[in-house]
Amino acid sequence: MDCCEFREHYSDFADGLLDDEGELRARRHLSLCAPCRRFDAAFRTGVSALRDLPSVQPSRSFGDRLRRRLGHELVVRALAVDPISGAVAAMLVMVTIGLVTWDLAELHATRRVASTVAVGAPPPAVRIPAPVQIRLDTEQIFRGGFHPFDPVLFVADTFPIQDTNPPRLDVPAVWGGR
Amino acid sequence: MTLVAHESLRATRPGPTSAFAELDDSHVVQAFLDGRSRAFDELVARYQARLLNFIYRTIGDRERAEDLVQEVFIRIYRHLHRFDQTKKFSTWAYTIASNLAKNELRNRSRNPLVLFQAIKKNWDADHRPLQFEDSSTRPDDMYRKRHLRALVEQSVEQLPEHHRVVFVLRELEGKTYEEIAEITRCNLGTVKSRLNRARNSFASIIAPHLD
Repeated sequence: MDCCEFREHYSDFADGLLDDEGELRARRHLSLCAPCRRFDAAFRTGVSALRDLPSVQPSRSFGDRLRRRLGHELVVRALAVDPISGAVAAMLVMVTIGLVTWDLAELHATRRVASTVAVGAPPPAVRIPAPVQIRLDTEQIFRGGFHPFDPVLFVADTFPIQDTNPPRLDVPAVWGGR
Repeated sequence: MTLVAHESLRATRPGPTSAFAELDDSHVVQAFLDGRSRAFDELVARYQARLLNFIYRTIGDRERAEDLVQEVFIRIYRHLHRFDQTKKFSTWAYTIASNLAKNELRNRSRNPLVLFQAIKKNWDADHRPLQFEDSSTRPDDMYRKRHLRALVEQSVEQLPEHHRVVFVLRELEGKTYEEIAEITRCNLGTVKSRLNRARNSFASIIAPHLD
């Protein structure tokens, strides 16, 4: 047996599957050929090291993740297998979509009316006493005897507001309740 | 199968579970198909670590391997009613796992990110702090052992995809040639040929490093 033949049948040799004569020839070659001996040793050492590698274990979250995925699988299957449940679910989805669409359409229509119809309103008589201007009576602070946040120190001045541009109120023709 | 199954999954924990621990796989499968949903927990407990190790050794990525094991169980759950019970459950589970692992390797080979991950992995291995697992061992022995581990892992990763699957199934999972043929859907001759090539490549890769 030469090196090529030895390597050609190496797998059977390693598994002990060669017949008696083949086994004998392979062993004889091995005893005479240093490269094949090194090759055989490398394979056995390597496989042994490979089997000694620490085993990996699933992470802690593995079970939870699998449970979630299987739960989802169950729901999908229930809908697929039970036609009544599937039909009810499909109807519910359709009704929900219909309601949402109708509601959005109504809201859109209401907004369009509100933006186009304007009703003139009489100018309101605006009489607003505020805003007030706060004046701090510093003289009294310097004289002392008052708490800095005492309301007596703050004197409100009112002044009239000239209403030159009366507001225009836009009221929708049909009040949609929104 | 009913929605009750969902509740039973809350009890999924690693390790054998209760009433089904004594049963063989085919009986556990039958129990699940008969509506005893907790039987699926037992299948998960029995195979999660085995499939994880198989896929991890095949694709070399721990996190992705876990995702793929999840996918294996989802597919088992989805198609268990179609499983031919005259066959071994483990072979079927490994077939699914093997197909997913092969798909992963094919997808990866088209992805440029793989190069970066490979470089990063090598960097991590080089810069990992020395772990003193056994204080009675001499430091140079520990170094040699660690070096050998890294070497064999890299050697497996260097094997071509279809050789690697066969090699891992034989050397790590201890499957027979017939089981490997069934899992990989190849004939026996192809399995033997691939295994011989894989073993030759493996030995050739590591031999120069062992001198």
